[in-house]
Amino acid sequence: MTSRKLGAVVAVVALLLAGCGGYDDTPLPKPDAATSSSSTPVECSSDLSPLISYDPGTGEPTGPKVEEIRAAQVLKVGVSADTYLMASRNPASNKIEGFDIEFVRAIGAALFDNDGNGQPFEVGKNIQFVVINAAERIPALQDGRVDLVVRNFTINCERWDQIAFSAEYYHASQKVLVRSELAPTYTGVDALAGKKVCAPTGSTSIGNLQDVQPDAIIVPAANHTGCLIKLQRGEVDAITGDDTVLAGLAAQDPYAVVPPPCDEVPVAPCQDPLTDEPYGIGANSGDKDLVRFVNYVVKQMEDDGDWDRAYSRWLKGPLGKCESDCEPGDQGIPPAQIFGRV
Amino acid sequence: MTQSAAAPPPPAAQQAPAPADAQKSQRFWPAPTGKPVRAGIQDTPSLLNRLQIIGMAAVLLFGLASGLVQFLSYQSDGRAADDTEQLVRVQDIQSSLLSADALATNVFLVGGGGDPDREAAFRAAIEDVLKQIAAAADAQPADKNALEALVVEINDYTTSVAAAQVYNRQQFPVGAEYLSGASASLRLDALPILNNLVDANTDRAQDSLAGQHPFYLLLIGLLALGVLVWMSMVLARRFRRYVNVGVAVAAAIVLVTTLVASIAAWRGDNQNDDLHDHELQAAVDQAAARTAGNDAKALESLRLIKRGSGSTVEPQWEADAKVVEDNATGSALDSWNAYADGHRQIVAYDDKDLWFKARGIAIDRADNKPTAFFDAFDATTQKLAEKNGKTTSDELRAGRTVALLGSLLTLLLGLVSSVAVARGISARRKEYA
Repeated sequence: MTSRKLGAVVAVVALLLAGCGGYDDTPLPKPDAATSSSSTPVECSSDLSPLISYDPGTGEPTGPKVEEIRAAQVLKVGVSADTYLMASRNPASNKIEGFDIEFVRAIGAALFDNDGNGQPFEVGKNIQFVVINAAERIPALQDGRVDLVVRNFTINCERWDQIAFSAEYYHASQKVLVRSELAPTYTGVDALAGKKVCAPTGSTSIGNLQDVQPDAIIVPAANHTGCLIKLQRGEVDAITGDDTVLAGLAAQDPYAVVPPPCDEVPVAPCQDPLTDEPYGIGANSGDKDLVRFVNYVVKQMEDDGDWDRAYSRWLKGPLGKCESDCEPGDQGIPPAQIFGRV
Repeated sequence: MTQSAAAPPPPAAQQAPAPADAQKSQRFWPAPTGKPVRAGIQDTPSLLNRLQIIGMAAVLLFGLASGLVQFLSYQSDGRAADDTEQLVRVQDIQSSLLSADALATNVFLVGGGGDPDREAAFRAAIEDVLKQIAAAADAQPADKNALEALVVEINDYTTSVAAAQVYNRQQFPVGAEYLSGASASLRLDALPILNNLVDANTDRAQDSLAGQHPFYLLLIGLLALGVLVWMSMVLARRFRRYVNVGVAVAAAIVLVTTLVASIAAWRGDNQNDDLHDHELQAAVDQAAARTAGNDAKALESLRLIKRGSGSTVEPQWEADAKVVEDNATGSALDSWNAYADGHRQIVAYDDKDLWFKARGIAIDRADNKPTAFFDAFDATTQKLAEKNGKTTSDELRAGRTVALLGSLLTLLLGLVSSVAVARGISARRKEYA
């Protein structure tokens, strides 16, 4: 009996001691909670048309902000570096180039070529590019990180409550880019019901699409190029955004298609614009003199033919140009500038 | 067996007490004849039987328990060696992965043509990471799930980097988005898994290094000695001998074994503490410095890829630099400081949008240039982490054979002690007969 007890005690001790060697599995990180994708709608506080900007007046406008920039000899501009054709880094030259950048260069030249210090304007010296995404456009202006934002920036009254805009310098429209296998039957947003559609976080494109097709599944990305990656990976079926941006995406991927405008009788593939997207150049709401200066330069570009040359170089190929009975703001035609804001 | 030190006759032993007293008292004293005093003839053999069982059980249990504690210490040192190896391995995976990212982002900065040498170094780093993951999964089954998840993330990362390189060659900006997305995912999805692996293996290594138990060995020995001393006292009371040689030999064996085992365990414990505080800590520190350094170098390239947006990544670069300065030593720290000077020049140029000058410094691989200093820092920290990690595991394994022999010897000495107890009791039994 005693021997049995002794054996039992030894066995228990051995088991207890030997059982200390096991390891728990290394835990896996818990996924973060999903973040909200769409921008919060804000009520407009003014009945004034958002397309109305500050009048440049006659002659070259100036003011405290313009003088401050000239004194610093640097204009800080928030731009995209991945919006092909509008503003993107050329991997060969490593320079940022595109339609928007032509406007930055023109503003820079006007600011620094005739500033009286005898030094010619130089992009690398007088322009400081700050690459930002769509969601950073307004905060970058509000916190003073940049003086201007030239980044396919739609003018609307909600944004006027936060920042200031130049007059419209380009009239874009929101459209849809689809995977090539969807294109043959695509005649409009009805085809997007139940489909995954990508748009940049914080952009107006999300709300615009949901207004006309609430059954579309919105998938956000940091920017439109991020949307193209999702399309290439099969994570989304379509991308919505401005036609200028979509043209740049389609140019990078032969299996991404932007259906052309529909005729009176829709024949696939085709689409009608979802919204008009008047582009303006953003500034801090306190820098009215800088906005006036920008409006002056844009008007000069239109009058001198620089606007037309910039469009022909970057956008005419993929987007075409109105050839007859054209109105301001038609494809390839400068939009009318409206002034009168005080 | 001879008996020594005959006990002096107790004063009361000559007088026969009243029978009633005998009923009340169970106390026995050795008689001059060697026969038990006032003991009933029937009680003595059963008393000796009981003492023999108790004594043998005590020393056998001592041998078993003490041997088991030593065997567990032997196993613990082995586990500590494996765990520290695994810790150094997962830290190397972490560092090498960020080193690969630093190479990928730096190659991207060069432009569409790329840099064949750096691209080859990137592929070699990824190959090394995957081999290390296979080795880690084999070495620690508890890490298997985490490593499987890590492989999925690395596959996504390398796929995106490959796409980035292809698009960069075609001069499409989507390439930059693939690369920055890959780097962001690496930090968001892969690094948390690696952090968990590092934390889990650090805990395991620390637990295993604390596997020496001199106090338990001492306690077990003292308990066995206590039983043997009690036995000797009972025997001494019952017979006219102060010392039972068999029991005394067993006690001596227990005492010496306990002292030797406890001292050895104490020394092993101190040695493990030293390894933890010096070699292992050095390996961990160097790996942490290398990880942070490579993260910083990758961020430097990313700030130039995302032109003009340095203010968003610079705080993390500074945090990484602090980690490096806190952990790197000697020539590694000198190389880092030389690189950091170059980085500050890059920042100054980039902040003024003198991008081409900044990029020129970032990709220049000539001797005495920041990138060359960074490469020296990376190589030195990797070498030091490997060297200290190897020293730790080698030292832990070196003393294991002695510990195993010690545990077996203790078990054997427990058996020998039990025989000694049996023979000691047997001598008394013969005397009684």
